[in-house]
Amino acid sequence: MRPENYEAKRQPPSNEFELNFGPNHPGIEGNYAFRVKVSGDIVLEGKADAGYLHRGFEKLMENRLWIQNIAITPRICVPDPVPMEVIYCLSVEDLCGQEVPARAQWLRVLQMEMSRFAAYLFYFGGLGSTNGMYTPHYWGMADRDLILDLFEELCGGRVYHIYNIPGGVRRDIPDGWLERVSSTFDYLESRLKDYDDLVFRNQVFIRRTRGIGVLNQQEALELGVTGPNLRACGLPFDVRRDDPYLVYDQLDFDLPTEDAGDNLARALVRRADLFEILRIIRQVIKALPDIDGPIRAPIPNPLAWNVPAGETYQRVESSKGELAWYVVSDGGDKPYRAHVRGPSQTHAVQVLEHLAKGARLEDIAQIMFSLDACPPEVDR
Amino acid sequence: MMKNLENIPVEQRRRTNPLAHVFDEFMAFCQSRSLFMLHYCTGCGAVELPPVMTSRFDGERLGISPMVSPRQADVLLVTGYVSVKTLKRVILTYEQMPAPKYVVGICSCTVNGGMYWQSYATAKKLSDYMPVDIYIAGCMPRPEAVISGMRDLMEKIRTGKADSWKDYFRNYDHYLGQQQRLFGPKWQTPTDIIGEAEHYGLITKNTRGEHTRLLEEHQKRLEPLEMRL
Repeated sequence: MRPENYEAKRQPPSNEFELNFGPNHPGIEGNYAFRVKVSGDIVLEGKADAGYLHRGFEKLMENRLWIQNIAITPRICVPDPVPMEVIYCLSVEDLCGQEVPARAQWLRVLQMEMSRFAAYLFYFGGLGSTNGMYTPHYWGMADRDLILDLFEELCGGRVYHIYNIPGGVRRDIPDGWLERVSSTFDYLESRLKDYDDLVFRNQVFIRRTRGIGVLNQQEALELGVTGPNLRACGLPFDVRRDDPYLVYDQLDFDLPTEDAGDNLARALVRRADLFEILRIIRQVIKALPDIDGPIRAPIPNPLAWNVPAGETYQRVESSKGELAWYVVSDGGDKPYRAHVRGPSQTHAVQVLEHLAKGARLEDIAQIMFSLDACPPEVDR
Repeated sequence: MMKNLENIPVEQRRRTNPLAHVFDEFMAFCQSRSLFMLHYCTGCGAVELPPVMTSRFDGERLGISPMVSPRQADVLLVTGYVSVKTLKRVILTYEQMPAPKYVVGICSCTVNGGMYWQSYATAKKLSDYMPVDIYIAGCMPRPEAVISGMRDLMEKIRTGKADSWKDYFRNYDHYLGQQQRLFGPKWQTPTDIIGEAEHYGLITKNTRGEHTRLLEEHQKRLEPLEMRL
């Protein structure tokens, strides 16, 4: 590359400069770009530049059989893939009017909470790295791998599981798996004290994140913020409690909230969430051995499966926020239309642009990581 | 004397020194043991790279370390499907890297399109657009597979077989033609590949061709930079 090949832009003298974050930048999560206009180190304006990960999911799904689509749905959100499978299966079951056996519902809850725990560990690693603390990243990855090992034993896949199928789950759990889940999460709970000492009670982290990226409740509602980011603004809303699906209405858990709405609050809400996840997982482990019965309702020949015509809108709570799917069937063997309402699109585009205004340049990466947006889910 | 030496292409220049191959082998060994990799997170495969680099699998024990800038990187990891918008940036990143440079295509999507073979938005085969040294197939490959692939790359570098970067200079017209087919005839990057090919003595009859002529037509003659004080 030669400097003379760069085009010189003649512009009037000013204090404003444009700077590109991404798409290949250590301060950005994934393949995503954010253009900022700075004066000094104050950001005047930010503009999200998405589309680097666009694969055309909604079109791809129209060309595949109902059963084939299970394989591509988890690819929409890489760090937290289980809710995508589950919600697709919920949609198809709703269109067919299929009842899911109780054991399969409890297994789905267990998977979703394990996946949520793994996604939060990933999140703490990323947030620590943007503050110059690399140990949380190393610890979080190593601890997340323990959960991935459990998934691997369950279904053979580390990251993408494809364990759910419309009507239930593919196969029953291996012998002794629940004890291993139990002992792994006991170990992870004992690690949480170390995470507290390292990150959440660390003055470096607290002073670095307090009061940055403040989002008040009114703005959050106007922008369509959901999930832990909304709970960090003091509003206890969660699809698991307010519109229960699967067996969440039989489970006992709280919704931790924070009032500040800043980066610290968003991290602390997720930190407090880990305890609730542990509570749910322990309840499932206790209840699951007593629930006998099939793990899957019978489905017709999957290669010639015509789902009755109709439309459905289903929503679940993923680790990023409210995730909803709109699926339309025209009675054929393929979906007529499938649309994803992902939480990350709101968080990574509208909310980030809103919070970037007036923030300092060095906080942009931190704000982005604290919102826990998932670029593949933004672009789909 | 020096002037004569400069006229000899790099490939033949080595043979003039009887001990050259000893130094070459030593340099190749050193190169293979300290790889700075630039992982462009083009897709899902990027999620398996943190486990590779962190405590559990610990890629740094092999001398592999992440690097944030293409100017100091040796290896470009393309982790997953490349959409057309990303591919432009991947090619620009690749052209900025100093030679010798190596490309590792991770995930099935870089091999043949993988799960997105039908997609209108992705480029199906990475080696159509840039030379690739090692492919690691899988959707997504496990960390052990990534480490095994990196060890294969190290072995290739040590034995001097990882010379795909020379292909890019030798067959630039072919690669540029593929890029122009995808991005349109006005595609250009601010790099000067033919100049670099001349520098390394890797000009062949396939370096220049109809596609590079098209590039020269469209490439803007850019004004020199003016310093503003």
